Amino acid sequence: MVTIFFQQTLNGVILGSLYMLVALGLSLIFGILEVVNFAHGEFYMVAAFLTLFIMMKLGVPFLVAMLAAMLVMAVFGIIVERVVFRPIVGKPMINGMLVSFGLSTFLMNLALLLFKADPRKIDSGFAHTTIAFLGLRVTLERLLALILGVFLVALLYRFIQNTKTGRAMRAVAQDRIAAQLTGVNVFRIYAITFAIGSVLASAAGAMVGAIFLVAPDMGWTVVLKSFIVVILGGFGSIKGVVFASLIIGLVESLGGGYISYAYKDAYPFLLLVLAFLLRPEGLMGGSKS
Amino acid sequence: MRRAVKWAGGTVLVILFLYLPRLFALDYYVHIFIMAAINAILALSLGLIIGFAGQVSLCHAAFYGVGAYTSALMGLHFGLSFWVTLWFGGLLAGLLALALGQLVLRLKGHFLAITTAFFGVLVTVVLNNWVDLTKGPMGLPGIPRPMSGSFIGLNLTFESRSQYYYLALLFVVIVSYVVYRIVNSRIGKALIAIRENEELAQSIGIDTMRYKLFAFALGSAFAGIAGALYAHYILFISPVTFTIGESINILVMVIFGGMTTLTGPILGAVILTILPEFLRMAGALRLVIYGLALMVFIIWMPLGIVGTSKEFLFQRTTRSRTAAASM
Repeated sequence: MVTIFFQQTLNGVILGSLYMLVALGLSLIFGILEVVNFAHGEFYMVAAFLTLFIMMKLGVPFLVAMLAAMLVMAVFGIIVERVVFRPIVGKPMINGMLVSFGLSTFLMNLALLLFKADPRKIDSGFAHTTIAFLGLRVTLERLLALILGVFLVALLYRFIQNTKTGRAMRAVAQDRIAAQLTGVNVFRIYAITFAIGSVLASAAGAMVGAIFLVAPDMGWTVVLKSFIVVILGGFGSIKGVVFASLIIGLVESLGGGYISYAYKDAYPFLLLVLAFLLRPEGLMGGSKS
Repeated sequence: MRRAVKWAGGTVLVILFLYLPRLFALDYYVHIFIMAAINAILALSLGLIIGFAGQVSLCHAAFYGVGAYTSALMGLHFGLSFWVTLWFGGLLAGLLALALGQLVLRLKGHFLAITTAFFGVLVTVVLNNWVDLTKGPMGLPGIPRPMSGSFIGLNLTFESRSQYYYLALLFVVIVSYVVYRIVNSRIGKALIAIRENEELAQSIGIDTMRYKLFAFALGSAFAGIAGALYAHYILFISPVTFTIGESINILVMVIFGGMTTLTGPILGAVILTILPEFLRMAGALRLVIYGLALMVFIIWMPLGIVGTSKEFLFQRTTRSRTAAASM
């Protein structure tokens, strides 16, 4: 019994670290461009397919393919920001939502058209090595997801806190115009933000493709859950996002294991409702809308 | 002069709408008209919530679904007539919105939008998994048609599509009238005040939460009624009709026509019900084109067709309206 509980907890933590990667990108894009990017899940889907095809066509190992996909997606993110999102920065919020929804529909259905609906799996080569400790068993693949998550978050945190560009990003998030006045090239920051967001989503997409499945519609629920993470964790806070994604991962894993698996997609919402009831003044403190 | 033009235009439109099933007598066309009417109800009611009260709801299709399922299940299990269950569909959707609104309407902007979107997902999950009641993804077949009956000496039947079209049209008129009366009343002024500046509205003594709840619950109740109309027309419902994609579709209709007017959402619903039919031949490419078109449209015409053409025609007079649209 106790072992099953800890096993589910471990799975929840791993799941949470995957949500975290998507949610961090969303949070960054939301904080800096003030755009809700519904297409963020599709970035993650495209990256998973990219990893799959790079491995199939070039025969390179999983980690190399994932790295290549991350690089390609960084460029893709920059292009998407320039073409789709920059024209609507500063416009009403609904416009940003609808543009990103259009992008999401476009990418998802293009993938459906090109790759068909049947789900595939990335063979990472790490799936059959299991590591056992304290009676828990975890595949190397899942452990890799956790390590990758921790590593990328640490990297992102250092980047945002300690580099000049990171400081500029924080400045733009606080006040775009003031940042511009001090000589920050805001458009460059937008491009970098999208590149970082896409890279994080790509890492998550490749890992999910290996642990679970790759399918054209894999992005949609992830993006909504990641939004819940951003709301729960507090806007613009890396620590908050890390904490909230762990909670969402745990709730989903333990709820799926002990209450009902069919309703697992509903738990994050119930968590949100609970948070509203406990903190009726709002979750974000000084909310930015 | 302008009044006369408006009246003349209105009369022509009414006659046109009444004669539509005669002009385009094919069942396929009448089907599109009925769907346009149902979508018009959805867009009008969402327009009340978003355009006038300024609260972005991304779960309109969820209430549409709640209305459809409520009415269909009551008809199937209790043998109640459509004329009774219709109102229960609206009532339950409205009550649910009231409960949800209590929780989420204190959120603003993006946070409200995302939370309501997730509520929409929750409803879809429940519809898919509460198999005992909803039969899950299999859907509910065999929903009864509206019973025929006599009303003030008229014998009404709803066997043919064109008869159903008139029924749907009647509801469009009723909903338009109610929304029209609301937005032109003190309530409407209060809602617009909340949309423009909620803190200011509160400071002059408007109970903003109550008004927001009112608009949200009433708009959602209308969506429930639209759901009942849909269920008893198609005679089969399943969760795929009421997903978040449909919520966004309705939102696009509202934005497309222009959300701070009454004619805008209706126009948007009619155009965006008819236009995609031309894409049917595109087959699998249909949604790819839809996504692309949506992006192009939002980037090039951020104020909707009515707004953008007005902007183009009278650059100066619409400045205030433009400001209103940028919430």
